Amino acid sequence: MARPAVSQGRLSALRREIARIEGTLPERLAVPGENRAVAGRHSRPEMEKFAYLKTGAWRFDAALGGGLPAAALTEITSRETRDGGIVAGFALALAAIAARKENSGEGRRPVFWVSTSHMLAEAGLPYALGLERFFGFAPDQLLLARTVRLEDALWATEEAAKTGGFSAIFLELRGNPTKLDLTASRRLHNRASRAGQPIFLIRHSAKAEATAAITRIFVTAAPTALRETLVGRLPRSLGPPAFALNLIKSRTGRIGDFVLEWNPHDFAFRERNALAVRPVRQSGGRKQDSGGLAAASFDRSAFATQAWSGVEAGRKGGKAS
Amino acid sequence: MRRRHGAEWRRGGKEGKPVEFPPLVVSRREANAQHIAALDEQAEALGLRPGIGIADARAMHPGIEVVEEEPEADRRLLESLADWCDRYTPLVALEGTNGLFLDISGCAHLFGGEDAMLAEIVRRLAHQGFDARAGLASTPGMAWAAARFLEGQRRNVPQGEEEEFLAPMPLAALRLEEKIRAGLESVGIRHVGALIGAPRAPLVRRFGTMLVARLDQAIGLAEEVISPRLPVSPLSAERRLPEPIGMTEDIERLILLLAGTLRQELERRDEGARRLSLSLFRVDGAVMRLGVGASRPLREPPVILQLFREKLAALEGKLDAGYGFDMVRLSAAVTAPFTARQTDLSGSALQEAEAISLLADRIRARLGKGAILVPSLRESHVPERAVRLVPFGEEALAGGSMPARNDAPPGKIRPIRLLETPEPVEASAEVPEGPPLSFRWRRALYRVARAEGPERIAPEWWQEDREAPTRDYFCVEDVEGRRYWLFREGLYGEVASPRWFLHGIFP
Repeated sequence: MARPAVSQGRLSALRREIARIEGTLPERLAVPGENRAVAGRHSRPEMEKFAYLKTGAWRFDAALGGGLPAAALTEITSRETRDGGIVAGFALALAAIAARKENSGEGRRPVFWVSTSHMLAEAGLPYALGLERFFGFAPDQLLLARTVRLEDALWATEEAAKTGGFSAIFLELRGNPTKLDLTASRRLHNRASRAGQPIFLIRHSAKAEATAAITRIFVTAAPTALRETLVGRLPRSLGPPAFALNLIKSRTGRIGDFVLEWNPHDFAFRERNALAVRPVRQSGGRKQDSGGLAAASFDRSAFATQAWSGVEAGRKGGKAS
Repeated sequence: MRRRHGAEWRRGGKEGKPVEFPPLVVSRREANAQHIAALDEQAEALGLRPGIGIADARAMHPGIEVVEEEPEADRRLLESLADWCDRYTPLVALEGTNGLFLDISGCAHLFGGEDAMLAEIVRRLAHQGFDARAGLASTPGMAWAAARFLEGQRRNVPQGEEEEFLAPMPLAALRLEEKIRAGLESVGIRHVGALIGAPRAPLVRRFGTMLVARLDQAIGLAEEVISPRLPVSPLSAERRLPEPIGMTEDIERLILLLAGTLRQELERRDEGARRLSLSLFRVDGAVMRLGVGASRPLREPPVILQLFREKLAALEGKLDAGYGFDMVRLSAAVTAPFTARQTDLSGSALQEAEAISLLADRIRARLGKGAILVPSLRESHVPERAVRLVPFGEEALAGGSMPARNDAPPGKIRPIRLLETPEPVEASAEVPEGPPLSFRWRRALYRVARAEGPERIAPEWWQEDREAPTRDYFCVEDVEGRRYWLFREGLYGEVASPRWFLHGIFP
């Protein structure tokens, strides 16, 4: 259906405006196959400069449209505070990818972690030796800002984004505070896109709400695989960290469930059993986690059996451990 | 030679309308009875003297008003007065409970000479409602005596004339103990003059060295040092304002100006400031001090202003300007050699590391020292001791020698988050050495699917907690895939029922 030329021009102007506000490429809003060249010409050149963080899990990257936008606000959310290790781990893994990406020879840039003292008391303080082991951040590459009030945490995050020089900035908070509304998150996003570095908003036990984050991911734990050794899988062992992701907002508009495994040696993700993941939702079935993740739970049972079969193998093997 | 002057301060508030108030006495509890500790002129005119019992005084003059003394409040008042006196000289010392020493060497010319300065201090104190007596002399002892015993306008004792001035004064002018004074009076010596020419040896033999020392200090034969309350900054710049200011913008502009003056001096000495303090002198005598620290030496005015801006922002309008500030002083309290030169005035072309340390300084200026933390490594097997979070820029001070290598052997797994203190959990575990099968942490039950361990960490007996039990750490994964780091404190057999703790969280 052909549209008049005037409205065409207006439409693309509006799209550009929306894209500017959201900090994304205008193509995202364009209808595929329509005026592609026009939109591309008007897209801001600086946006091209900031590439995407490729996680290494191709299906996840494809859903994100080539990777996680590097110069943007990304929301990583847990359903419960006790998943604090999982969400922080996932954010740190993405930061490790960002650090590796921008690193040109000299040492990695530090990460800046902002949190309230209340939050840190509940979810635990970052532990430098663990960060080094899992994500390769040396102890002098961590700066922790511990504030009493959330306003101060927001201020510190913005100032850090203004300063630049970090591979990633984390802002960790709990729930859905009113102080972090759409305006506040938009400010953070603008800072991130201007500085060209990612800001990760780590939210504990939060509900989905409208924020300016380009990407929003719910993260829950997934049982680890057995540790691979030269002689095969080691029974009853704990393998590399695994994350069950529920992508609920993305640049491309695609959503889905994924189970990613982090490889602490090459700093890359790998998708586990891509074919086994089914985009089906179901509720209930689990006691402790009310907002159930269908695919994750499917996987979980699958892997739980695997894990227990490992145990069985271990038992058969006698005094294996 | 130092020139000092003691300002005696009398307890009392505003006394502009003396007639309307009843005579005031301040009482002190001594030997289970209330005595007069201090009194105002009206009470003095009634014939009351310090030391008289309150009950007697009330019987004689029922109209007097009695208040109990508050030594703490007096002290605070004296200190705030000392703060105010900072405007005359940085060397201000408290003297007893009611006096101040000001070392005005090299300051008097700023106020139009010694006499003019003396007059101004007394006038301004009187304006604030204090009945102050001031004396000025080359030695603290002489100034002390001049403030208390010289009558009339001549309270400035010229150098070299101490003996003449001191001679007719009573013995109390020498700051002597009561016992020595009574001893001297019992042998008929009532004036200092009798002591000045007297042979020294018998005096020392009979009354101790204190008497002679005080005498020498007063006439300038012995040096006496006053101890200033505040450390004297190596560098400072100040500006007196004919028109008081109160707006934050004005203060910021002034900081920039003063920092520019400081910078010239810092450049000359090839130093930068590590600690800066800003003193704001309010018209009514109150003094506000703001301090900021820098993790590397600074001298650029815009950077200094940025730090103070955070400090001012942190006050959030709690900076009470009152009728305005009439003097502002910026001092570099701690300086350090300045090696790397900053090139850009606007501070925009700072190197990344410098930018980060500036960010840390600003966060610290605004939110306090504990707001910005970095890990500090030290050689230890105990997880919480191996890495401590210390304020930015204090890694070296914290004793962490920063071995800069991961001491945890590759086989040892460490969590990414560590709870500040291990939290006790109820766990059921295989006896004696097995991992937990399930545990209850923060009221939720976790069923353990798999576990790795134990990793035994023995207490460090060379550290303080000698009797600390051994810890067996397990890395466990619950059925949902969450991974935690738990330990059992003590071994079965050693302890009746070892307790379990949750210490860390894995990704």
